[in-house]
Amino acid sequence: MSELKFVGQSCVRIDGKVKVAGAAQFIDDLDFGPNLLYAEIVESPHAHALIKKIDISKAEKYPGVVKVVTGKDVPFKFGLYMHDRYVFALDRVRFVGEQVAAVIARDARTAKLAAKLVKVEYEVLPAVLDVDTALGKNPPIIHPDLGKYTHVPWFFPKADTNIAHWRKVRAGDINKGFAEADLVLEDTYTVPRYAHCAIETHGAIGLYDFSDRLTVWTASQSPHTQRHLFAEALSPLGLSHKDVRVITPFVGGGFGGKAGVSMEILAAALAMKVKGSPVKVLWSRAQEFYNTYQRQGVVAKIKLGAKKDGTITAMEQILHWDAGAYVEYGANVVNAAGLSATGPYRIPNVSIDSICVYTNLPPGGPYRGFGYSEFLFGLESHINEMSRQLGLDPVEFRRKNAIVGGDKLAYGSKMNDNGLLEAIDKVAEEIEWHKKPVSNNPKKAIGKGFALFWKAPAMPPNAASTAFLKFNEDGSLNILVSAMEIGQGYQTVMAQIAAEILTVPLNKIRVELPDTDRNPYEWQTVASHITWGCGKAVERAAIDAREQIFDLVERALGKKRDSLYLDDQKVKSHAEPEFALSFKDFVISGIGKPDGTYRGGPIVGRGMFMPEFASALSDPETSQGGKPNVHYTVGASAIILEIDKKTGKVKIPKAVLAVDVGKAINPELVKGQVTGGLLQGIATVLYEDMRFDKNGKLINANFSDYKIPTAMDIPDEVVSIIVEVPQPDGPFGARGMGEHTMIPAAPIIANAVENALGIRIKSMPITAERIALTLKAKEK
Amino acid sequence: MPITQDFEYHKPATLAAVIKLLGQYKKPAILAGGTDLIAEIKEGVTAPDALMDIKGLADLKKIEFKNGKLTIGSLVTFSQLIESKLIQSKFPVITEVAKMVASVGIRNRATMVGNICSAVPCMDSGPVLCAYDAVINVKGAKGARKIAIDKWFLGPRKTSLKKGEIVTGISIAIPDKKHAGCYVKLGRYSGEDLAQASVLILAMPNDTDRIAFGSVGPTPIRARNLEKLLNGHKLDEAIISEAKQLILKTVFPITDIRATKEYRMHMCQVMFERGIKAASNRLAGDGPPYGHNQI
Amino acid sequence: MKKKMINFNLNGRKIAVEIEPQLTLLEMLRDRLGVKSPKCGCDRGDCGTCTVMLDGRTVRSCLVLAVEVDGLTVTTLEGIMKDDKLTPIQQAFIDNNSFQCGFCAPGMILSATELLKKNPKPNKEEIQEALSGNLCRCTGYSPIIDAILEFTKGGK
Repeated sequence: MSELKFVGQSCVRIDGKVKVAGAAQFIDDLDFGPNLLYAEIVESPHAHALIKKIDISKAEKYPGVVKVVTGKDVPFKFGLYMHDRYVFALDRVRFVGEQVAAVIARDARTAKLAAKLVKVEYEVLPAVLDVDTALGKNPPIIHPDLGKYTHVPWFFPKADTNIAHWRKVRAGDINKGFAEADLVLEDTYTVPRYAHCAIETHGAIGLYDFSDRLTVWTASQSPHTQRHLFAEALSPLGLSHKDVRVITPFVGGGFGGKAGVSMEILAAALAMKVKGSPVKVLWSRAQEFYNTYQRQGVVAKIKLGAKKDGTITAMEQILHWDAGAYVEYGANVVNAAGLSATGPYRIPNVSIDSICVYTNLPPGGPYRGFGYSEFLFGLESHINEMSRQLGLDPVEFRRKNAIVGGDKLAYGSKMNDNGLLEAIDKVAEEIEWHKKPVSNNPKKAIGKGFALFWKAPAMPPNAASTAFLKFNEDGSLNILVSAMEIGQGYQTVMAQIAAEILTVPLNKIRVELPDTDRNPYEWQTVASHITWGCGKAVERAAIDAREQIFDLVERALGKKRDSLYLDDQKVKSHAEPEFALSFKDFVISGIGKPDGTYRGGPIVGRGMFMPEFASALSDPETSQGGKPNVHYTVGASAIILEIDKKTGKVKIPKAVLAVDVGKAINPELVKGQVTGGLLQGIATVLYEDMRFDKNGKLINANFSDYKIPTAMDIPDEVVSIIVEVPQPDGPFGARGMGEHTMIPAAPIIANAVENALGIRIKSMPITAERIALTLKAKEK
Repeated sequence: MPITQDFEYHKPATLAAVIKLLGQYKKPAILAGGTDLIAEIKEGVTAPDALMDIKGLADLKKIEFKNGKLTIGSLVTFSQLIESKLIQSKFPVITEVAKMVASVGIRNRATMVGNICSAVPCMDSGPVLCAYDAVINVKGAKGARKIAIDKWFLGPRKTSLKKGEIVTGISIAIPDKKHAGCYVKLGRYSGEDLAQASVLILAMPNDTDRIAFGSVGPTPIRARNLEKLLNGHKLDEAIISEAKQLILKTVFPITDIRATKEYRMHMCQVMFERGIKAASNRLAGDGPPYGHNQI
Repeated sequence: MKKKMINFNLNGRKIAVEIEPQLTLLEMLRDRLGVKSPKCGCDRGDCGTCTVMLDGRTVRSCLVLAVEVDGLTVTTLEGIMKDDKLTPIQQAFIDNNSFQCGFCAPGMILSATELLKKNPKPNKEEIQEALSGNLCRCTGYSPIIDAILEFTKGGK
């Protein structure tokens, strides 16, 4: 490949100006005129109850109310991977805050006042608030019809239980593996639920117009998936996919929380009931906490065997996931984690059970890291303990077992080439691993922690991306994809990819936000797959446009096709150095012939990418036989902590993260993911956590008591290291890395706390309070 | 989220007008900074039938120091306190307290008087006012009265302010002797947080100290028993150790979503020790600069 | 509900508007006057996305009633730009990749603007303190702090 001019450069974000001007339009910034209606949701006060009766008569009569809608008006199921929930709870509520009815009114205040007049009679049922109860003896069954639910073929629900999915992975001979080990270590690690806390809450506006078309504006990572789910769920009302249009403006942070369909189904369904008027549903901060997706809690039992020389011989892991009331998305988190719970290690004998458990807590779902953040806390804590008990250096122990390209994965397929060893070495060097830190302050203890991470995009085997690339009269470009701008900067990255191939500078390229009518299909902006998958589609669209240009120049001007190349927005020829034809002279108008006729016409490139080699089908008892993951992105991370031994308060002088991105299309944006993702992860282990009362109600559904980090809570220094072992099927060798920066945060901190103080804390969060009280108890 | 409650809004031009209006409603509320009040109205925690916006009363915006007495008007914001050269030079620990209240955008609006009128146990202003033996100036239809800070807080969100009365300001007599102070606040992280425990120390010559705790009981606690133990004694490890034992009988923290009783109790001891050392070092002229949390 | 007529200065413009006393400043700006840079992130003063300046100081517009601004000057991010040109601090934010999703940007920039007016050469700690009321979930804050530090040194 010749020298790259755009790819690999830290180009300034093309959406920077509109954002710093405060002019970027988010969902709540869109205007719909005075005919806009507002919906207020009536919510369940119970974690588990039967709905006996809903009396809407008073609310309906309240002045300004347009309509009151209950589950009976839209008795339709929806779900991404499993159809296990209704638009509104129909006969049973399964978590506190679940939607039971909606009041649509001319203004938000009226809707809110009238919603208080909807009277719902419940028969309260015993609630299941933890996985132990759910899996215990004769538990209340949360989904009695589980056996009848439709779902993707790679889920294995157990009817008449609370088990929504059970992913089993078996490799080698687990008993033999443990028999070969000199040390077998078992322990249990617990991770609570977490919230994404994008600063923008969810919102959606639906409009069902008199051409029988449903348009839904959403704050979403998944416009096409939403279109599909809306069309599918509402098809009994006569909608087909062609009738549904989803438009997404800028999204104020996603982190997985705005993937799939959650509250947006309400705007879609309600719009169908007030034809001709747009209806808006906007989540409050509290609703954002308790009625979107939450990161699932997990209890991980890990048993690991290794030889004295540090060779890992066997791993058994049982993961019980608190997936909440509905698992239409969350079960796939459980699935992905189960397949990859070995972590980035070469382990010949494996037994993993990843079990998705219904509880009467809010629905679980995707959150940056998609299960990997959750299980890596236990796994990488355990790896450290293992190395300590074996008397081995924890970095050496990891290095010895680190997975390399060609190694067999637990489910049978081969690991992709990767730079894990390089990442380990670079992080160890940057953090000066072999230097034991000492504090000169007697009140403080210093420790270092290290962890590896990996993650594959968790996606169906046929998750596709498409791109259109349109040339304009002046040679500028509009790129149409349906990736979503959630902060990661994909518009800039897509523009850089197209710029590289077409030699058009970034200031002549616009990348348009999704509108499912205008922009072609994209599965979802999730799984850190956009740079890789959508980027590949854009690369192909650009190549398609370039090939059309070459075809045309050959056909119209008789230039030898093989000699043609693009440079500085012109077609040039190696054979004729003086030949140069500017794009603006022909990309719309075509090339004129001496007789006044034209050849060619508007150049529109089209590109598509789908990983045709992937398959989710495998043996349900072992997971052997398929290729469920397209590839893994790997890396290593380390941290230095300074801990006040009396208060337990933690300061972070330095954090380091190295990630093998294949090729950094925009190194500055990669760095942005590292500083942001690491802090998001650090917060989950130091102070964030969701608290529920004994009735299953979330009691910290606000930023006063769910503390997310401020500018005062950051590490003194964050070093981001880019490793580049190319991904053969990625654009310019790139692979995803957005989620990965959050994944190792919890174990590096847990390991650094152990290193500093000699205490191993096995459940998150590791708050100052936990540290101080654990130390105090130890002193006694 | 729209406010669903109905209330009337008044912005009287004189204190007399405020007092008159207060008598005309069942549940009137005084609106100064509004950072607590508006949030509580939105969430239905309180439901006033009328708001008296007192921001038209210019006299209440003043910080005054006359004859050894500091008066902080009801409209004085925390930002004003932080920026006041007078406070910085004569009452630097008040600056230290004010800097630990929430964040700039709140401090630009929130007032110290509002803080003690809300009287939530985690308020930052309680301990410092207790330590300074502050007096709350109140006016009502029956005239003015002065309430000692010891008598002001009656419980969580309860004060001795009577219906129809308004607080006009807080007065603090500057201690006769040279003094230094230290405020130590426990939050869950470095950023803005509601105190889970706090301690305020005023150190004065001849080993006399005043000590108050916040957020570890229904109201701020002036720890006179600790003061009695410490006063007149040179501050050494033995007396600090004894004092830390006495703290266990002085404060009454609870377990809630923010912290456990056990940690709060433990931290009261740690914060007391660090706070009193910092305050006495400040008095001696070699303490840490004001404005940095000691934990 | 009895409406009130208020007059105030918004970004250099004289505004006279009749509003209900229940309306917050944030709601009035966004829903009645079409000024959309202040956002609603938490509606209770915790997140700072609704930050606007009232007589030159940042406030939480979700905790201010619209009636309270009668006679005052309200400045939003729209109002700090001259002739639609970005201010140098806004440019520094672009140059330093200081925002990702951009939702917190208006509040953050106003807080930074207030800080720099009071303290033209803040150190890192002072910057962190001044911004600590504006939550950002994307960036990890360091690119924002870097932008302000760079600005105080006179740009890249």
